[in-house]
Amino acid sequence: MANTLRLYLTCIRNTLEAAMCLQNFPCQEVERHNKPEVELKTSPELLLNPVLICRNEAEKCLIETSINSLRISIKVRQADELENILTKKFLRFLSMRAEAFQVLRRKPVQGYDISFLVTNYHCEDMQKHKLIDFIVQFMEDIDKEIGELKLSVNTRGRLVATEFLKQFM
Amino acid sequence: MAAAAVYQLAQCITCHAWSPDHSMVALCPNNNEVHIYRSSQDKWERVHVLEKHDQIISGIDWSPRSNKIVTVSHDRNSYVWNKEASEWVPTLVILRLNRAALCVQWSPKENKFAVGSGAKTVCICYYEQENNWWVSKLIRKKHNSSVTSVAWHPNNILIATTSTDGKCRVFSTFIKGVDSRDSGTSLSGDLKFGEQVVQLDLSFSWAFGVKWSPSGNTLAYVGHNSTIYFVDDIGPSPSAQNVTFNDLPLHDVLFVSERMVIGVGFDCNPMVFTADERGIWSFFKFLDERKAATSSSKSGSQFSEAFGKLYGQSKPGISNDAVEPSRPRGGAHENCINCIVPLKKSGDRTVKRFSTSGLDGKVVIWELEN
Repeated sequence: MANTLRLYLTCIRNTLEAAMCLQNFPCQEVERHNKPEVELKTSPELLLNPVLICRNEAEKCLIETSINSLRISIKVRQADELENILTKKFLRFLSMRAEAFQVLRRKPVQGYDISFLVTNYHCEDMQKHKLIDFIVQFMEDIDKEIGELKLSVNTRGRLVATEFLKQFM
Repeated sequence: MAAAAVYQLAQCITCHAWSPDHSMVALCPNNNEVHIYRSSQDKWERVHVLEKHDQIISGIDWSPRSNKIVTVSHDRNSYVWNKEASEWVPTLVILRLNRAALCVQWSPKENKFAVGSGAKTVCICYYEQENNWWVSKLIRKKHNSSVTSVAWHPNNILIATTSTDGKCRVFSTFIKGVDSRDSGTSLSGDLKFGEQVVQLDLSFSWAFGVKWSPSGNTLAYVGHNSTIYFVDDIGPSPSAQNVTFNDLPLHDVLFVSERMVIGVGFDCNPMVFTADERGIWSFFKFLDERKAATSSSKSGSQFSEAFGKLYGQSKPGISNDAVEPSRPRGGAHENCINCIVPLKKSGDRTVKRFSTSGLDGKVVIWELEN
């Protein structure tokens, strides 16, 4: 793995480690409600400053924290149109199955490809370090997966073209 | 020093409190019930389940002399439980809140208790003999955000609160007919109910876990920016010290003596802070030895399974060599500690034993040697 990716992921891991200090916190605005404050943003004092970690212009990660929830939005590298379309389709496939992942958000935050929403309930049920490991692992694998997909699309394209052009030989 | 005893009593514990003789513990297993466990030969047996609230219980306090339990919950209600024969009988407290109640504490004389709430108010509740119920007086319009913690001064009049607006405030709670003027010290002189004594604006982030020292001379509270604040001479000109540390923020504190404070929180390991002869506070040590534990493979969460399922056979296997996985924290506790309670005999000046509970569902009893 490239050395810069390691630094990027380590930075994200350390930021998440510090940011994932969540607690149960009932809504201040609506009676008997308990909602992720990072999504509602009704009380500005309950939000912390968002952290943006960029590897380069195309790859970045936004971490927004509030008292009872944490939102992580990721922009994946898309070098060309093929990568763009593969990323879009693949991440859409995952987002549609968000319940299976628990912390995955159904819709990414605007300007990002995929978002996670971690609440205090996730921290109660699951081990914090495993949650962080999952997110970092996910980011690491997504690049690899897109690369593999691109390769297989190209291989298949070449194969189909060869087969198709055979009849003219 | 390691933990004296570790008991796994629930999946997840939000708060706990001990009976006067420390043989029973009342805890909330992260739902709308209070479970009371009694220890018999190192085994815990559930003796009572108090069901009256309909949302998660955020605070429990058990009064040491009158043997009453007060509970508050996110459903905006509070109950005082009184033991009659072998049953716990609840009495509803009219809090007059329109948001969740977050914390509760009995006053030292046990004739009042204070409730902090998400409605940005503090309720001071007292018993009205003629009507046979608990009534509350509110301190309104002083806080700009939820009140996360309350603490009574030993003189039974002053109360300290922390709030998510980052401030710590001290109020007078003198109630005519409940308190007498001579009971207070000069500090609480002739302050009316709800009058603010001081507002401490030290933290840039949310403030939690306020406590007074046994004598009531020092106040300690924590900020979410990994800082603990010590304030002396509460009054017109307080003097403050802050101690910043490298680890994750604290959530609650406990004065063991005038010169020693234990802080617990997101770091899963209690921290000890001490003051030297000149009264300068500093971080002393972690209470629990850090284990260089390797993460056990059996706790591979459902994520990796789900992840694997979705990837199917297309993926050869997750390579772990890239970024070293983060190490699990702590020893006795494995998740955030959110409650610390002293286990003090009525005659003792200093706290020798205390207990902590956390989101990992454990109650841990700690003993201090010196």
